[in-house]
Amino acid sequence: MILVIAEYRDDTLTTTTREAIVFAQRVGRDSGEPVEVVAVDSSYDPAIYVQALKSIAEQRSPSLMVTGHTTQSMDYMPRLAAALRKPLAAGCVDYEKVGDRLVLTRQIFNAKMNLKVVPIGPGPCLVTMVPGSFPADELDAGAMPQIEKVQGPEGITPSRQIIDTARAPKGDVDLGSASIIVAGGRGLKQKENFSIISELADALGAAVGASRPVVDAEWMPREYQIGSSGQTVAPKLYIAVGISGAIQHLVGMQNSRCIVAINKDAEAPIFKVAHYGIVDDLFKVVPALTRLVRDLKG
Amino acid sequence: MKILSCIKPVPDSSSRLSINEAKNWIKTQDLTFVANEADNYALEEALRLRDKHGGETVVLSLGGEEAARVLRAGLAMGADRAIQIAINNPHTLGEFATAEALAAAIQKDGGADLVLAGVQSDDLGTGTTGVMLAELLGVPHATVAIAVEANPDAKTLRVRRELEGAVIETTEVKLPALLTVQYGANQPRYASLKGIMAAKKKPFAVWSAADLGVSSESLFEIRELAVPEKKSRVEFLQGTPEEAVSLLVEKLRKEAKVL
Repeated sequence: MILVIAEYRDDTLTTTTREAIVFAQRVGRDSGEPVEVVAVDSSYDPAIYVQALKSIAEQRSPSLMVTGHTTQSMDYMPRLAAALRKPLAAGCVDYEKVGDRLVLTRQIFNAKMNLKVVPIGPGPCLVTMVPGSFPADELDAGAMPQIEKVQGPEGITPSRQIIDTARAPKGDVDLGSASIIVAGGRGLKQKENFSIISELADALGAAVGASRPVVDAEWMPREYQIGSSGQTVAPKLYIAVGISGAIQHLVGMQNSRCIVAINKDAEAPIFKVAHYGIVDDLFKVVPALTRLVRDLKG
Repeated sequence: MKILSCIKPVPDSSSRLSINEAKNWIKTQDLTFVANEADNYALEEALRLRDKHGGETVVLSLGGEEAARVLRAGLAMGADRAIQIAINNPHTLGEFATAEALAAAIQKDGGADLVLAGVQSDDLGTGTTGVMLAELLGVPHATVAIAVEANPDAKTLRVRRELEGAVIETTEVKLPALLTVQYGANQPRYASLKGIMAAKKKPFAVWSAADLGVSSESLFEIRELAVPEKKSRVEFLQGTPEEAVSLLVEKLRKEAKVL
């Protein structure tokens, strides 16, 4: 049996959970195993999740325990794996069956390398799936399994006490409603160079966004950050300039309708999600694009 | 407070990575190893907490000469002493055996009030080892910390965590505990010349797997390291910058219809 652990955000089943279910169903078809989906019936705490899922693992002996690779899952899955003394393949993007052995592909070195691993010993093997690795819409054709609520053992005290939860102030930067976004990354080299992003955005009537390194380096304020710890956007046109495309950034923009990437490194992972790419010096390409857009509008 | 800060040696971010002959890892011989970026934020947090509340900061790393090198850099930044777990080819261990070795070293050293690690490594990049280490030490943990306030008398920590969707959670954990520290949580200090000189006189322990009584057996067999196949839909636009951008605008207007 393959067990999927469901994650909800604002009471909605997350897309990464749906993708994890598709992965589990495909592996299940190959190996003739059924898929069960559970959700821990508790507000999130790592100790409660670990205890609840540990007892499920012991009762049902799944061969795999699968969930999306998210901030929440990576807060408890490693603890669960250590408590069970079972392997955890975090950040998987694919699998293959070789004989009766399951080979899992982990994305490492910021998606520049794939590491294929085989878990040793009896299951379960724990797996977290990188967002976007399997098509969630495969579930639309009526293949969505029931989700069973499971309780933890009685008397587990939470390991942390939440004092406060707040959304970081967005300020007046609402990237969610922009139809075009021009986003800049570390490839811009220094703060002053961010002006070429603003100029292109001005010419296009677009909003400006930034990747995490740019925000960490204080070239741009936090509210411009796009990615898993910033804003999630899906404009009709997203232009990524000098952004290599860490998973955390891709999660925040990969649903954009049309993605253009400008980067001097042809191997940069941003090109995996881009529709159009220009591999060249961004300090030459971006001003040329700005001039052309101005000419066409002028 | 006794604070332990874990540092992973990783290839310098400007390295060109290539695959070794056995096709099971990268070629490491010509690479320069530096401290994992996120671990520098963890160490800075450890040094600040020590400077405020007293006690000591110990840096801990696993590996061969590359681990000794990042530990010396940690001592130069201001850590009080270092522990190296001398195991060659640390990548073959996997996260669980690594966490077991780190836990054994921390226990051999008499435990810690607080263990810190970076939120994730620049090589495997999943943030697994730190959280496993918390389980093996039997202490509570919090991931993705961006601010930490300690109350040593009450034996508690107040931690601000950065969650998905720009949500900031403030949470309280009891000490002893483990935290993983997010990129950008602080401004890591540079080692001064005085710091580099002082580092040479600081205690530096080297323990082997046998000293720690750990097996260092991985739970995974590495089958292959490969460059990802291009599954991408991207269409590269060629030519001079001027030619490429005019092709792009044409495509955006006529094909994608987004301009």
